[in-house]
Amino acid sequence: MPALTFNNVSKSFGDNTVIKAFNAEIHDGEFLVLLGPSGCGKSTLLRMIAGLSDITSGQLLFDKIVANDWEPKQRGVAFVFQSYALYPHMTVRENIAFPLIMDAFKKWYHLPIVNIVARHRLMRRKDISDRTLQMARQLELEPLLDRRPSGLSGGQRQRVALARALVRNPALYLLDEPLSNLDAKLRTQMRSEISALHHKVAKTFVYVTHDQVEAMTMANRIIIMDKGIVQQVDTPDEIYDNPANTFVAKFIGSPPMNLIPASIRPDGLKLAGQIAVAHDAAKPTRREATFGIRPEKLRLKAKGEGRLPARVSIIERLGAETVIGCSLVTDRKSDDLLIEQDLVFVRVSGNPRMQIGEACSVDYGAEDVLWFDSDSGERISLKSE
Amino acid sequence: MTIKNLTLKTLRYLLIGILVVMAGFPVYWMAATALSPNSELYGTGQRFLLQPQNLFGLVTELGQVPIGQWLFNTLLIASGGTVLSLTLGSLAGYALSRFKFHGRGVVGFLLFMTQVVPEALILVPLYAMFITFGLLNSLTGLVLANVGFSLPVACFVLKGAMDSVPYEIEESAIIDNCPRFSVLTMIILPLIAPSIAAAAVVSFFAGWNEFLFASTFLSDRANWPASVGLASFVGQYETPMSAVMGTALVFSIPAIVFFLLIQRKIVAGLTAGAVKG
Repeated sequence: MPALTFNNVSKSFGDNTVIKAFNAEIHDGEFLVLLGPSGCGKSTLLRMIAGLSDITSGQLLFDKIVANDWEPKQRGVAFVFQSYALYPHMTVRENIAFPLIMDAFKKWYHLPIVNIVARHRLMRRKDISDRTLQMARQLELEPLLDRRPSGLSGGQRQRVALARALVRNPALYLLDEPLSNLDAKLRTQMRSEISALHHKVAKTFVYVTHDQVEAMTMANRIIIMDKGIVQQVDTPDEIYDNPANTFVAKFIGSPPMNLIPASIRPDGLKLAGQIAVAHDAAKPTRREATFGIRPEKLRLKAKGEGRLPARVSIIERLGAETVIGCSLVTDRKSDDLLIEQDLVFVRVSGNPRMQIGEACSVDYGAEDVLWFDSDSGERISLKSE
Repeated sequence: MTIKNLTLKTLRYLLIGILVVMAGFPVYWMAATALSPNSELYGTGQRFLLQPQNLFGLVTELGQVPIGQWLFNTLLIASGGTVLSLTLGSLAGYALSRFKFHGRGVVGFLLFMTQVVPEALILVPLYAMFITFGLLNSLTGLVLANVGFSLPVACFVLKGAMDSVPYEIEESAIIDNCPRFSVLTMIILPLIAPSIAAAAVVSFFAGWNEFLFASTFLSDRANWPASVGLASFVGQYETPMSAVMGTALVFSIPAIVFFLLIQRKIVAGLTAGAVKG
């Protein structure tokens, strides 16, 4: 199985650079997720690995050998497309068997008309039909083998696409948003099926998605991209707990991390320019920074009990937990005016009795606060300051 | 069934009946003329009903001309032109649809231009070329001349169809180790079968109805297609109308059979994509 190395890989379409100096290593056997918003270049990156798109500059190495100019077939990859890209004129059986048949084709079998005869003969060859059947059983497609893709549901088509990718036993699996066309229930089911498949085949999977839930639940490691630039490469836990910058902090987590502009003072903080807060833990030495905290680390309290005065603006009851969006208000006793600032989200378990418009307060533990540079958005390490 | 429904149904069938008569009457009249004696056609006037008792006379009359040879020549010209147009048209259409190269627009424009130039305009230069290449009085030459006109049409039709095939299907085949040529023959062409059928109809009938080039380039009677053979019946003093119509009837049968064989594919193509798949 190949280990993949990207050395300053860039991709441009004319003057438009979609991937800028991408550096990363993909380890053997890992489930790597490329995560980012639409248009960030993650699918282009996957296509470059497959050999479907040229690399403008830099090097892509397969097991330390430069593979920039390799044909797709030299790379030994399987690719699952977002639209599945099944062959509509072939049955499920023929779709699954197609890569095996192509591997078994001699050069002269590719002649027109000869290829039709050769394909039908190879379909009956025992090793190919057995392997096709085995793959169909593994993905519960046996009853559908003689149907055409047009007669299948989205989930079934997705499984056929997976079966076709798996049947050749390649070293590397590339999956481009394969679940994006499925409904929520099927997506959850297929998510666990793909994870189980990865454990079973123990091959390298590179999976592209813009869905953070897919990334967090399936990945060994995640590469988060934005505008063609890598924002962070790490395990899902690390990315959630220690985001490298405000983009990652906002992109991962639902609701995302609360980010509030803060002025640092010797005696505490002034949040959102209006709320003076006593903060007895370590804090950045600079004057201005961004105060970040995850919604589940915040505590919702009655008015006056917490350090951040607030008013309830949104209540999202999810059953086991509730997400409450609060507007911060000024801390002056006489006029508690709303502050122009993004809502501060608090995640609480159960179903608290709160009403929209109700005055409340929010509190936090100083050890849960993450600090970011106000200008660049980069994470501030308090240890190095 | 209510009276309103019955009336609508009757009107519908009446309309269909009128259209069928309009389309079918010329064929019937051709048959009726073929089975009428020439004395009747040029003298007392043609009877409306078929006269099957004259069939033997017609067959005897047609037996005096090499109608089988003419039909075979026509078939050769039409099918040769169709095969060549579709083969070259699918390769050219694929290149125009999938590859970006300098001059792609110019190629498209030049192909289009061939449809603007009337056949009669290039008759003389083509004649000179045929003399040079020794293609005069040969069916091969005639097939090539016809392909010059039907190939651009086939190319445009097939290019348009290929444009609608998603790239991902093709890329998926490439990942599955399928070479580019086989991607075309095994994946793309089966997917655009209705358009191939449409292009085949256009090319086939262009060749089947070929007259101008054939009457100019083919001097040997044995090489004539049926269209030129038919025209040869027209004499200075007499035209045997029953023989002309009899030959025309025989001439149209293979074309009708070809169309009936291929029409199902064309209809499938016209309705493809009409509903969400």
